[in-house]
Amino acid sequence: MPYSFIEIEEKKTKVIGFLFVFIILFYFLTAYLILIVLENTSGFSCVAEGVRGCFALPSWQHTLAALAVALIIGLLHWWTSTSNLIDKICGLIGALPVDPKDTYHQYLKNIVEEVSVAIGGRPLEAWVLPSVSMNAFALEDFNGRAVIGVTEGLLTRLSRSQIEAVVGHEAGHIISGDCLSTTVTCALAEIYEEGSTHLALGLKRRRGRGSGVLVLVYIILAIMRFFSSLIRYFISRQREYRADAVAVRLTRDPLSLAEALKLISSNWRGSGAQGERLQSIFIMNPVPSALDEKEGVFSDMFSTHPPIKNRIGILLNMAHLDEKSLEENLKNFKRASPVAEIETKMEGPDLDRQWFVFMGQQWQGPFAVSELKNMPALTPEDWVRPQGSESVIHAYEDKALLGLFSKDAGSGDKEKFLCPHCKVSLEEVTYEGAPVLKCNYCQGVFVEEGKVSRILIRQDKHFSVEIARLGKTLISEKQKFQAKQGTDNVWVFDCPACLRKMLRQFFVYSYPVEVDRCAYCGGTWFDKYELDILQYLFENKEIFFKQGLT
Amino acid sequence: MIILLILLAAILLIAGWFFTTYNSLVALKVRVENAWSQIDVQLKRRHDLIPNLVEAVKGYMSYEKDTLERVIKARNQAIDASSIKDKAQAENFLSSTLKSLFAVVERYPDLKANQNVLKLQEELTSTENKISFARQYYNDEVGRFNTQIQIVPGNIVAGAVGFAQRDFFQIEDKTEKEAPQVKF
Repeated sequence: MPYSFIEIEEKKTKVIGFLFVFIILFYFLTAYLILIVLENTSGFSCVAEGVRGCFALPSWQHTLAALAVALIIGLLHWWTSTSNLIDKICGLIGALPVDPKDTYHQYLKNIVEEVSVAIGGRPLEAWVLPSVSMNAFALEDFNGRAVIGVTEGLLTRLSRSQIEAVVGHEAGHIISGDCLSTTVTCALAEIYEEGSTHLALGLKRRRGRGSGVLVLVYIILAIMRFFSSLIRYFISRQREYRADAVAVRLTRDPLSLAEALKLISSNWRGSGAQGERLQSIFIMNPVPSALDEKEGVFSDMFSTHPPIKNRIGILLNMAHLDEKSLEENLKNFKRASPVAEIETKMEGPDLDRQWFVFMGQQWQGPFAVSELKNMPALTPEDWVRPQGSESVIHAYEDKALLGLFSKDAGSGDKEKFLCPHCKVSLEEVTYEGAPVLKCNYCQGVFVEEGKVSRILIRQDKHFSVEIARLGKTLISEKQKFQAKQGTDNVWVFDCPACLRKMLRQFFVYSYPVEVDRCAYCGGTWFDKYELDILQYLFENKEIFFKQGLT
Repeated sequence: MIILLILLAAILLIAGWFFTTYNSLVALKVRVENAWSQIDVQLKRRHDLIPNLVEAVKGYMSYEKDTLERVIKARNQAIDASSIKDKAQAENFLSSTLKSLFAVVERYPDLKANQNVLKLQEELTSTENKISFARQYYNDEVGRFNTQIQIVPGNIVAGAVGFAQRDFFQIEDKTEKEAPQVKF
């Protein structure tokens, strides 16, 4: 460990203290600047002292007043931006806590818990950023609450050991003590950005009324903005190297971290719409800049992340490998999916099958799967006979029936969502790890808001030829479909979640899959195959683009 | 008089030194014990998970009764073990039987498509990882403690108050660090 715990604590308070002094000093300078401008333009002090046309510095009483104002504003600023630190920043970048029903999120939670064990049992929270990109971040607040977050894209594209290495890196930030100062810095800098944006808007609205004071304030805010970008440079690049070292010490696996860094850097690393101001909380700068890849005093000062080449180089050195073999390894890289791979087939044969059931001392039926589902008396030990067959078997011996017993046991009291087509209750299943509600009759699925993007990002499913054909037809005949769209608003189905009418529309303009969407809760209803087709289109969008279809 | 004062000062100095060394040793010892309880939690979790996994795969694997029975037996042995050395041995044996179970699971395509089994397997893999991390942390702490009570001046204090060296939680083969890597 680079530091003992006491040293870490001391270092932490030192950096935080610096930050605080910096903030106060900065406000004082700003207030002083305003004072100078005010005194020299309105001239009240010059008049009072009987000196005209001079450039006077403010008197010491005024300076003291400015200092007091600076202290109050500084404290207020400090207090507003450091209370509820984590929730605030997570809200800004759009991160969410893990969804316990989601297979992938459970998987991430396991990994974060493992790393928490590795650092000696300090609890870590796992959060997810719903973004296609690959990145990870760590946050810590004054109460010692620590959060590690990764993007959906990273979760789907890296292997278990690579994710473990990335999470280890983030834990490295937390245990080596630089995470808190980074989090505070980001929160402090954030307010200026927001302030100046709001003010700029206010200014625009007032334009033409000749409010000179606002212009003055705006100029000052512009200066503040510049200073706020300076705060960021409190953050040293060295901390990334240190966190890499801790990750290796925890996982004893430098190669996986090198692979992860390589994969992240060669893919798009943005964090979504946000990112620039909060760049320092991420494992890799979300906005790639030429500065990051340079060395020297200037870039050491102004960049928050060290050159990725150096980081990978150090790690490879530890693993006794060179860059070429790393690239060779990654060429054949394929991660094991945490989700059972199921191919979408065009016809579910189980749907048409029916069974006779031996119940109450006699054979009853035939029943379809969905009917058997609603029979609470049916147990795995019961005798069944498939229609058209003479062999009598236990219910658990039939693969199609086995599913009846494993799922949703004991959820009978729960509020039931109804299929908008068939009006039967929907069953909660996972689609590529994300929880969705499925109708067993018509095979349509209802996906709640925010979960469609998860499904689109994940790539566990293989598509059958028929789905591919349908997808291609949709894309190539897009004009025709689009011409049809928009002429009439169709409000047919009731939303299963909130019972309001859903509007039929294309998923998005460029993917002409017709879905029904609830404007109120944001849920989407997909008819049979529609979700598969949409996913097929999304995953193959580059191919379509090359063929000129989109 | 002066000699007496010097003597008193020397005694105070030595006592002060003795107590600070003792305190730092106790702090290390507490950390070792903490680390051990971490391992214990994870081991218990594994013991709880195994019956579930066996139950989930039993229906599919009627021809593999002995593999399953061996896993259950190894689990019961591991629960009964008391000393650290016995425990380490029993847990190693359990790990190896689990490995063979996973190898068997791989031969059954139906199991691979079963989300429930997959989920249990992920849980178990995660627990294996947690065990190895907890062990790593424990061994690090034990290493630190053992070093401190062997080097001068720690050995004097440790000898006086009777701190004994702790056992490492050993693993048999070096490749075992990777918990059963289950690939489907």
